[in-house]
Amino acid sequence: MTAQSVKPGARRVGPALWFVGPLAVLVAVWAVAVAAAGTPMRVFPQVGDVAAAIGDMASSGDLFRHLGASLRRMGLGIVLALVTALPFGIALGSSRLLSAFFAPLLRFSVALAGIAWIPVATLWFGYGDRAVIFIVWNAMFFALTYNAMLGVRQIPLQLLRAARSMGTSRTRMFTEVLLPGALPSIVTGLRVGLGYGWRGLVAAEIIASDAGLGYALFQAQKYFRTDVIIASMVIIGVLWLLMDRLLLAPLERRTVQRWGMTGVGR
Amino acid sequence: MTTVSAKPVRTTARPPRPAPLWRRLVRTGTFRTLGPFVPVIALWWLVAALEVFPESFFVGPPEVVDKLGELLEKGILPGYLSDSLTRLGYGVGFGLLIGLPLGYAVAMLPRLRRFCWPILLFFQAIADIAWLPIVIVWFGFSLTSVTFVLVYTIVFPLMLSVVAGVEQVPRELIRAARSLGAGRWRVFLEVIVPGALPSVAGGIRTGLGYGWRALVAAEIIVGTSGVGFMMFDARRVGDISQVFLGMAVLGALWYALDALILAPFERATVERWGMVRRLEADG
Amino acid sequence: MTALEISGLRKTYTDDYSGEEVTAIDEVSFGVEKGEFVSVLGPSGCGKTTVLNIVAGFVDLSGGTVVVDGRPVAGPGPDRGVVFQSHALFPWKTAYGNVVFGLRMRGVPRTERDERAREYLDLVGLGGFEHRYPHELSGGMQQRLGVARVLANEPAVMLMDEPFASIDAQTRRKLQEDLTRIFESRRPTVFFVTHDVDEAVFLSDRVVVLSGRPSRVRDIVEVPLSRPRRWDEALALPAFRATANRVNELLAGDEDDAGHLDAVS
Repeated sequence: MTAQSVKPGARRVGPALWFVGPLAVLVAVWAVAVAAAGTPMRVFPQVGDVAAAIGDMASSGDLFRHLGASLRRMGLGIVLALVTALPFGIALGSSRLLSAFFAPLLRFSVALAGIAWIPVATLWFGYGDRAVIFIVWNAMFFALTYNAMLGVRQIPLQLLRAARSMGTSRTRMFTEVLLPGALPSIVTGLRVGLGYGWRGLVAAEIIASDAGLGYALFQAQKYFRTDVIIASMVIIGVLWLLMDRLLLAPLERRTVQRWGMTGVGR
Repeated sequence: MTTVSAKPVRTTARPPRPAPLWRRLVRTGTFRTLGPFVPVIALWWLVAALEVFPESFFVGPPEVVDKLGELLEKGILPGYLSDSLTRLGYGVGFGLLIGLPLGYAVAMLPRLRRFCWPILLFFQAIADIAWLPIVIVWFGFSLTSVTFVLVYTIVFPLMLSVVAGVEQVPRELIRAARSLGAGRWRVFLEVIVPGALPSVAGGIRTGLGYGWRALVAAEIIVGTSGVGFMMFDARRVGDISQVFLGMAVLGALWYALDALILAPFERATVERWGMVRRLEADG
Repeated sequence: MTALEISGLRKTYTDDYSGEEVTAIDEVSFGVEKGEFVSVLGPSGCGKTTVLNIVAGFVDLSGGTVVVDGRPVAGPGPDRGVVFQSHALFPWKTAYGNVVFGLRMRGVPRTERDERAREYLDLVGLGGFEHRYPHELSGGMQQRLGVARVLANEPAVMLMDEPFASIDAQTRRKLQEDLTRIFESRRPTVFFVTHDVDEAVFLSDRVVVLSGRPSRVRDIVEVPLSRPRRWDEALALPAFRATANRVNELLAGDEDDAGHLDAVS
């Protein structure tokens, strides 16, 4: 009866511990290694330095300025991409001819999306917010469109016929059948797109901005402030994990997994 | 490239009557892939010719082709192109050499996997470009810095995909091999390595997609040579046709990479074995 | 001579949700003689596949013994080849590659390997298909390949886990006749798990009928049919019907005991 002794609470703590534990070990190894090797700050910072850097950034308000700038751009980019890509992709997917025509174009664009547009974006929009938001939108748009289109093409024909035979109107068809049917593929596209968008954001902020995490990172490099560099990297990593846990994972759990449809081509 | 597990596909017998020439032409892969670019380029041309946007913001195909000729003649483009490809080659080569063995090691040892999984996720979460500043601190504005970031971008998606791939190998295949007399090592070589390949192929694609972008970003930021540098340098002096040319080159290069290396590899392995099916949107 | 001897087999496990100890298999004993075809039949959800998995060495037993060719079973091994319901063919190996797999694992020299692979591919009617990959074969051909892969390895006993359950009715009849023909020409020892009464009676020398959970041996029925067997002939024989009825009665007895009616699917 050993299994019964496991309390419901303990079951939740276990996985969390298994997530934080290895990372804690990693930090400990870092602290010991830097101390043992006597690595100077201009090469690699000690754990305490990084914590202090985060503290300084927080107290001076820089942290929230940069964080706010990055999150606002990312958020706007995501919303713009969703609003433009999903209707477009689903519309393309509902026509065999259109999807055959656009498939190679979209694959080409996905390969090029994001960072490669930075030079043009800065030319069109100048340095600053608009260029960065354009890059995030651009990085996500094609992957989302392509996967939404594929998703609609993958909906079983019987399902479409069943819906039509029940007298579903065109708008209802979109909200009740096409969008949910394409969702497994859309979630895949969202994952790919967010990956490109996040990288695009950091790169664009390094190259074309005077605020944001990427900018903070690159400024610190100019003054060899490795503590600030590592601090910014940690923040970037944590933000992505949070995005994954709080945005993508619940979306997958509530929709695709809940309906027993597995994701496509993860 | 999106793929799904394939169900057995039976080829249906075609009627012997040959289709009209234009129909057969439309059915060829080349036409299907490249055909759609013709009207798009025509549209691009038209928009540029009508001067919908100012000429300093938007140029048409002739200007880009002129620029291509000019840079080819001066030898600038071939030089930059080979710089970029060399970096990509080093990055991918070392990325594979490091990522594949490490990935399989982590996947095969449950304790190690449990320990490494969050660390892998965290390192994957630190967007690769974000490593560039610290790497510049270590190695300066050099080829080493660019290669380091590239290797990084490839290793982590690759390792994650190897672990996922090993998990996806059907248990019955391993059982079948064991009951035919295969030891653990043979099971690994003959069942787990090929069984994980669909996912690994996907990981290589993802890694290359990220690596490709990281290369362009690193070349812009490190700024010594390469196609990324060429584009940003042109942007600084406002040479829009050279920026457009850079994008066209990057796109064409990706296509060549896909058509000459990735796609043939997948056709010869996972597609040949019926484990994944190329998913065309016209299906 | 006994090829496989199961005695006092027990399997218990701890239920993940309730944490209670559940007995799946309780004191199951029977033997399979060398060159004999024995089916294990039982209501769906009984432990018949678990029995097979224990014999195969995929699952540990909780009590009792399983002895193959005089040796107690410990882990999977080439003396017990398994034919799976899902075929479990290696997709990255051709038909030939799948058949020689076991021989390669056991270090059989190349020329002998080649010869034996061809022999067994011919035996199951797959001569000429050696270079096809599994996904290029029909479901029936895939399952025949699964049989050839095991037989080429010459195991002490061939374990078959509902091999025809996922195949359409017409093809299933054909495959059952093919299997009978192969059995009659080679006389391998076969341990066959199924929930199809007619299939069990048609193929087997003896049918072991298991009860619902926990599984016990309800009875062992001898099949009084001569070989070679063919479906059209078997169906016309009163002995076939009588045996099938007897097995059905044994299964139905289980329904009365358990008080539910989903015993035979």
